[in-house]
Amino acid sequence: MSRLVIAPLLVVVTTAVLTLALGRRPRVQRATSVAGAVGYVGTVSVAVWALVLGETAPGAAVYQVGDWPAPFGITLVLDGLSAFMLTIAAGVGLASILFSVRYVTPENQRVYYHPLFHMLLAGVTGAFLTGDLFNLFVWFEVMLVASYVFVAFYGTDHATAASFRYLVMNVFGSALMLVAVGGLYATTGTLNMADMARRLATPDAYGIDPAPVVGLSALLLAVFALKAGLVPFQFWVPAAYTAAPAPVTAMLAGVTKKVGIYAIVRLYFTVFAAATIPVDVAGLTGTSPLDFLAPVLGAMGVASILVGGFGAIGRDRLGGVFAYSSIGQVGFIAIPVAIAAAADPTGALRGVAIAAALVFALHHALAKGLLFLSVGAVEDATKTDRLRDLGGLAGHSPVLSGAVFVGLCSLIGLPPLTGFFGKFLAFDAAIRGLASDSGLLSALALVALLLGAALTILYATRVWVGGFWGRETAAVEVASVESGQVTVLVALAAAVVLVGVGFDPIYRFAETAATAALDGEAYVDIVGLNGGDGA
Amino acid sequence: MSVALAVAVGGLFAVGTFLLLQRDLVRVVFGVAVVSQATFVYLIAMGGIDEGTQDLVPVLAVHGGGVPEIADPVVQALVLTAIVISFGTTALALVLSYRAYEENETMDVTEWTK
Repeated sequence: MSRLVIAPLLVVVTTAVLTLALGRRPRVQRATSVAGAVGYVGTVSVAVWALVLGETAPGAAVYQVGDWPAPFGITLVLDGLSAFMLTIAAGVGLASILFSVRYVTPENQRVYYHPLFHMLLAGVTGAFLTGDLFNLFVWFEVMLVASYVFVAFYGTDHATAASFRYLVMNVFGSALMLVAVGGLYATTGTLNMADMARRLATPDAYGIDPAPVVGLSALLLAVFALKAGLVPFQFWVPAAYTAAPAPVTAMLAGVTKKVGIYAIVRLYFTVFAAATIPVDVAGLTGTSPLDFLAPVLGAMGVASILVGGFGAIGRDRLGGVFAYSSIGQVGFIAIPVAIAAAADPTGALRGVAIAAALVFALHHALAKGLLFLSVGAVEDATKTDRLRDLGGLAGHSPVLSGAVFVGLCSLIGLPPLTGFFGKFLAFDAAIRGLASDSGLLSALALVALLLGAALTILYATRVWVGGFWGRETAAVEVASVESGQVTVLVALAAAVVLVGVGFDPIYRFAETAATAALDGEAYVDIVGLNGGDGA
Repeated sequence: MSVALAVAVGGLFAVGTFLLLQRDLVRVVFGVAVVSQATFVYLIAMGGIDEGTQDLVPVLAVHGGGVPEIADPVVQALVLTAIVISFGTTALALVLSYRAYEENETMDVTEWTK
């Protein structure tokens, strides 16, 4: 048991409370908020290094909240997968809060901006760490309530409408999640994920009938796809992303979307993969919930790439282009996960495909975080983000444009940027998937990836040519770019380059994460279910 | 008993979904609340329901003695947590619907221009 596991959560909640209390002293509040974010990055780094990556690290650790032994209490687990996701959250979170300080007006920051931001981060952190299904629901709600307020933050007609729609969608999603959680509890008799994995592996020993798990897991898949913004649950994304303040959009796209993907990987591959259940739903047959996940998630991914790609080409605002692009990019993450689900459980492909999805998630968090923050900087400087009114930014503010250029190139997938490896590994997984199972879906996945890559080149070029090249427009001529904002953008652009150049350790981290995600037995061992009579 | 609960869950979900699909903002908020209530009843049902008799209430059956078989407390804890969250969300939804009314000057969501 290690207290380090809960440390990131404590830091972020403490910061949220402190910033709430310091509302009357704006300067101190801002300083506390930034210090809290730096402290969060520090604790996450220490915890990840000491518990997962370091030479003498155990590889994973648990913290039993309140010292209640698993499976009765709430278990927090920091393993490779959680560590990878927390690292993404820490990086994007720090960049967003630094950018916020220079971007959001002091009056707006004074109110509830900082406490809410840290509560959003707390929800994300809790969701990545928890080993308890109902607790996952609670952290989802923490994250969502903060993001409802952020979407409505500017209080315009557009923002309130977007926030209301986002809220109603997600409350219905939460209701479905509760139904699934309750059903899984009634079926397996436990809420602890490790205990559930163990019971599903040997259902006869515990006298349970795991048959309902397929249907209940499908409900969960719908809820997580809603959080991740996968087609057909994508329609809240463009409105919410354009309504929220730019740094929060960077968080929503870079981190909270990934919570949906994380939950799919964690629950399906670590927990449900242990079960052997005959599946026969709408022509899909198999022996594991993964046989249901593979075609459904694959189809969602393909549809997301198409909707996102074509949608992004047609938008006339920078924010709109990147919001649709986010839908497409999540498709790029979903397809490797689907390939992993279809792969042979004992083969190497499953691990490779999950690692590909994780690397793409990292790339998307960095590149899209950078691009959404740039939209904020451009909008702040020129008072518009309409492509029609922009032009010539490259000549007017070369540093800002250079950062955007790096982000766009990473999105397209040029080496040696992070995006190249994300795309390369996704294609690698798709081709291996096609080689091992030359079915229609595998071929379709590969075609969709190719088409998605082409669409990405199209809309990225359109943004660059329309907004940054050419003659300076009236709006750009009078623009003055804030240097503090640009510093954050340059730092993020440097991160995109550096992660690409020094990719080897990152890939090993992703492999560690994929191994942790797939090894359900190791997960059960770490959690150490020794509560009660050891049952 | 479980048939009655199944009917209640089904009825609440039906009413909630019907309300969610209305054009009026306030009805949508009511729909949000009713759907949440439906899941609470469902959660309680998932803990297993026994007909209540006197000897199932610990204090009546064996005051100070051993505890008789009781209903599953886990689902009740879950519902308690979920009720608090749902309360907060519904309050936020009401505030938002008022703000949306102020900004858009209509309670009819189909007339929103954005």
